[in-house]
Amino acid sequence: MADAVVLPTPKAELSPTRAIGATRWIAIFFFAIALAFAIVAKSLGDTFYLRLATEALIFGGLALSVDLLLGCTGLLPLGQALFFGLGAYASALTLKSWGDSFWIALAVGACVSALVGIVAGLIAIRSKGVYFALISFGLAQVVSKIVFNTRELGASDGIIGVPPAAVLPGVASTDPVAFFLVTLAFVALVYAGLAYVMETPFGRQLAAIRSNQHRLAFIGFDPKRAKLAVFVLAAAIAGASGALYPMMRGFVSPELMFFQVSGNAVINVIVGGTGTLIGPLYGAALLTALRSVIGSYTEHHQIVIGVLFMVVVIVAPKGLIGYAAALIQRRRTRTAA
Amino acid sequence: MTADIALSVRDLTLRFGALTAVADVGFDAQRGAITAVIGPNGAGKSSLFNLISGAIAPSKGSVVLDGRDVTGHAPHRLLAAGLARSFQITNLFFDLPVHENLRLAAQFLERGRGALRPIASSRVATERVAELLDEFQLGARADALAGTLSHGEQRRLEIAVATAARPTVLLLDEPTQGMSHADTRDTGELIRSLSRDRGLTILLVEHDVDLVMSLSDHVVVMHQGHKLAEGTPAAVRADPKVQSAYFGTAHA
Repeated sequence: MADAVVLPTPKAELSPTRAIGATRWIAIFFFAIALAFAIVAKSLGDTFYLRLATEALIFGGLALSVDLLLGCTGLLPLGQALFFGLGAYASALTLKSWGDSFWIALAVGACVSALVGIVAGLIAIRSKGVYFALISFGLAQVVSKIVFNTRELGASDGIIGVPPAAVLPGVASTDPVAFFLVTLAFVALVYAGLAYVMETPFGRQLAAIRSNQHRLAFIGFDPKRAKLAVFVLAAAIAGASGALYPMMRGFVSPELMFFQVSGNAVINVIVGGTGTLIGPLYGAALLTALRSVIGSYTEHHQIVIGVLFMVVVIVAPKGLIGYAAALIQRRRTRTAA
Repeated sequence: MTADIALSVRDLTLRFGALTAVADVGFDAQRGAITAVIGPNGAGKSSLFNLISGAIAPSKGSVVLDGRDVTGHAPHRLLAAGLARSFQITNLFFDLPVHENLRLAAQFLERGRGALRPIASSRVATERVAELLDEFQLGARADALAGTLSHGEQRRLEIAVATAARPTVLLLDEPTQGMSHADTRDTGELIRSLSRDRGLTILLVEHDVDLVMSLSDHVVVMHQGHKLAEGTPAAVRADPKVQSAYFGTAHA
């Protein structure tokens, strides 16, 4: 008896266009916790954890730029540290030679990375999948080796003695609480900006590229143009994040462009939750904390991180926040039904 | 330039090294009519479609759309000129909801609006999506991910996505591919209404000869990369060359 085929009820699966909306409260929670942390740390007179948390946020900015490419657009960048490092170097040189303006150093860092991003993007977006990943990796290798061998940029030592930036008159980037809050505001703005962009026609083109790039041209959009635009945007975000680094640390080194940094950014994104935007920030915070805690017991902390990465990929392939968001989404659909 | 010819193909040729997939094919598609391209497997129908729709650049020949030479234009430029296509192998945004598939395709209608204004306020695309959900009977499945639809629904969505930007010329690549008899009949009705009610010029590659014969105003027969014959369905059916190459001698 040929009964009508029973269609599978659509599962409340997390599509790229739903992941960010479903995690809005998780995002608000993140920033609230960060603020509470700042208040507690300030009242306890802490410096160490504030600086560690600031570093986590700076690498969180880099992770956001990776998620924009990987989670939102479906392009895996294995050399995003290139733009992070360029921003850091540009910011360090600006602070050293053009004065202590926070805003100018930040803008120069973002612009230098965006400009290099145009050139690198024109090369990288011609390819897809694993080839895109390898080209982005190769570009970062080439540039980091050039920097490593350029005496004017301090070669393997990098640039040391970068003066602090003046965030506001009288507030220097060496003030741990102030600079934590500045970095938090920066990351919050980037997060909110990207969450907004994903709800615009441009953002939806990115989701379409991730889903099925081939069809995009046949509904009237040039996928190359959108890919170049997102690549340059991600480069600028990575550059601006990198620009914050020497303000806190007082130095930059070629290691900032090395694969370790690119790879860690991808791990932060995947552990936190690809395509959720907030996940990468949780990932960066969690893994920076883990590295610090485990690093105080053993120098082989990468082994622990590696195992954690594998466990997450197997147990919750959508990452911690992706997993939570799917639960929320499912419950919401159930109450709606 | 004749005003009632929407699409004109001249000497279109595609060579892959020594192999010629499409050889000097030329025909006109009348405005508002349904033109079908038929032929046995490997006749070059899909290659021809890929050439016309900008998926592949031709080795030789031209494609003229509304009197404008659009040969070798990229697909997104062709849509701006009014030509859209669907795919034989369903080619959707499978991990996006049905309504988002349609909204993405309808987004083209508002391309002057600014790529960074929230989609929530884009009235034209929203209205177009509602219209399409209704016209293609996908309203009940609007929130489902495209990948979870049944085959028949996916084929309908495939055509809906292709028509969302209100093209003037629509290329349908085996729209009934893999469909049941009843679904094939419904799809035939749908195509007929797109032509009759919307005034779309339709170019169709189709396997189902009965459907082609009942639906088309004009039929182009391809065989081994060449155009074998063209004419009204009746004329083509009666053509002895076509009978021996395509229908087999049983019809003779």
